[in-house]
Amino acid sequence: MAYNGKMFMEIIKTKGLVKDYELGKIKVRALNGVDLSIETGEFVAIMGPSGSGKSTLMHIIGCLDSPTEGDYYLDGTLVSKMRRNELAAIRNAKIGFVFQSFNLLPHLNILKNVELPLMYAGIAGKKRSLRAREILDSVGLSDRLRHKPGELSGGQRQRVAIARAIVNNPSIVLADEPTGNLDSTSGGDILEIFEQLHSLGNTVIMVTHDAAVAARADRIIQIHDGKIEDGD
Amino acid sequence: MAISLAESLHIGLADIATRKVRTAVTLFGIVLGVMSIMVVLAIVNGMNAVTLDWMQQRGGLNKIEIEPNWSYDYSRGGEATLSIREVDYLRSQLEGVEAFNPQVMSWGSIVQYRDQDFDASTFGVYPDLQKVEDWGLEKGRFINLEDIRNHNNVIVLGSTVAKSLFGNRNPLGQYVTLNKQQLMVIGVLQSKYWKNQGGGAFSGNVLEYMNRQAFVPLSTMIAKINPNLDITSVEIKVLSDEDISKIRRQIEGVLLNIKGGKDLFRVSSAKEEMQMMQKNMMIFSVIFFLIAVISLLVGGIVITNIMLASVKERTREIGVRMAVGARGKDILIQFLVQTMLITTLGGVFGILAGLSVLNVVQDFLDITVKAAPNMVWVALLVSASTGLMFGIGPAYKASKLDPVKALMED
Repeated sequence: MAYNGKMFMEIIKTKGLVKDYELGKIKVRALNGVDLSIETGEFVAIMGPSGSGKSTLMHIIGCLDSPTEGDYYLDGTLVSKMRRNELAAIRNAKIGFVFQSFNLLPHLNILKNVELPLMYAGIAGKKRSLRAREILDSVGLSDRLRHKPGELSGGQRQRVAIARAIVNNPSIVLADEPTGNLDSTSGGDILEIFEQLHSLGNTVIMVTHDAAVAARADRIIQIHDGKIEDGD
Repeated sequence: MAISLAESLHIGLADIATRKVRTAVTLFGIVLGVMSIMVVLAIVNGMNAVTLDWMQQRGGLNKIEIEPNWSYDYSRGGEATLSIREVDYLRSQLEGVEAFNPQVMSWGSIVQYRDQDFDASTFGVYPDLQKVEDWGLEKGRFINLEDIRNHNNVIVLGSTVAKSLFGNRNPLGQYVTLNKQQLMVIGVLQSKYWKNQGGGAFSGNVLEYMNRQAFVPLSTMIAKINPNLDITSVEIKVLSDEDISKIRRQIEGVLLNIKGGKDLFRVSSAKEEMQMMQKNMMIFSVIFFLIAVISLLVGGIVITNIMLASVKERTREIGVRMAVGARGKDILIQFLVQTMLITTLGGVFGILAGLSVLNVVQDFLDITVKAAPNMVWVALLVSASTGLMFGIGPAYKASKLDPVKALMED
């Protein structure tokens, strides 16, 4: 698996991550000193009950949000101090999101949906379309390019979302309850795709509260009350 | 790494196509606003064209008139009259003059031909009258220098005078009587015609009074017909209207000199008068324009509201776009371009609607309206900037959304 010289390198490293929210006048600490290390090519599940801080952690890992305190290194770069625009560029280049509710743009066809990250990367139309078709082909949707998301089943939609997540060759694929809105069959299909991605050397991080889903990962990180519990 | 303008245009057009009804509603105010701007511009343009045309009919823009100054306090002494010698002196002091016509006027003089008579305004003039008034002949010739020198008993008739006295017969060579003097008709002037704006009491030919005039040599008038008359007005045509203010001031100076510092005469130039008229009409233009601007403002506020609603409705989309790498700037441009596309589209419809109602406005108000190509650019510019002005707020708001919150929005 020495595919890019990053073998066993830390793709994600956090030190003392703290995240505070203000809910009215009350200050809520969602993360309370998270130290985390994930290596290139790992398939990790982050587990925890609702309110445990796993969503907040995922937002910070996904560069959608910044920690109140602490450092976060993504692929060797300190991103916790970056500004909005820099974070947008990092998200575009290094992170592929898969959401529970798919989050496809309903009025764009699936080809355009998959092209979206490439568009924001500044890749020209033709090259974009070619790359998006290639990826959609690999998730078995090459016959649905002109369909709108609303015309697809849940499982198909999530496959489009995965295609969109990996079209930019990101450093990590970040999935938030990816099977939460799916029946067990299509959920199983989706998990299989993640396993495939993992076997091809991708780093996959999955946030879930479902133990059966988490069990498919190589490693499970338990989070509770904003802290990582030992025992992995 | 920003997305290109073409990309934003593409997204904008796609959104407009998806939300046709909303776009149409948004458009409506802008269409009305731009339409009224078009109509206002056409009316103003038409008024200016009419004013210019009026001035041309009256002998063009490079005309200067010397008349008695009615606001002079005549108890201070002096009379607003000029002798031939003073007129000649004035002429000798001026440069760049194309035509120079001192004239005396006699109201209500009866011109007789056999048993017909006509109550005409008769003038004693120089040959230059034709040039000053830009007035062609229908037949015959005009008064020449020979006539002036010899005090010839000749007369040139306005078209209505000729028609009344002679009907369909040829007046040339016939003799008419004016104040007991027999005068030979040597020419008939072309009929002057100009129709006023807006109809009503003055809807007839405003220049008909000119057709009721008759002209004899200035020398004949003073020496034989009416010795009591003095020269009270001089009409001058300058070669270039650029010098007109300079020459007008020069004339004022010479006249003050002649009259011992008394401002007995009023000297006015057609160009300056037209500028004054246009200035006076500006108030109408400004009022019309304000009305158009207000309708655009209302249209703009509607746009801001609809775009704010749109940003709210599309919060999740914005979140998704941000998650896959859109920067604040990309979102800002996307919404701004879309708003400007909508308003520009409204502008195009407004221009078409404006152009198509111009004829209706023209007939309804009985005024001349005139479209000009630059109006189209003004209208487009106005509609696009309305989009910019009223779209920037919602677009900015969209660009500042927190991606985490935006993604959680239902």
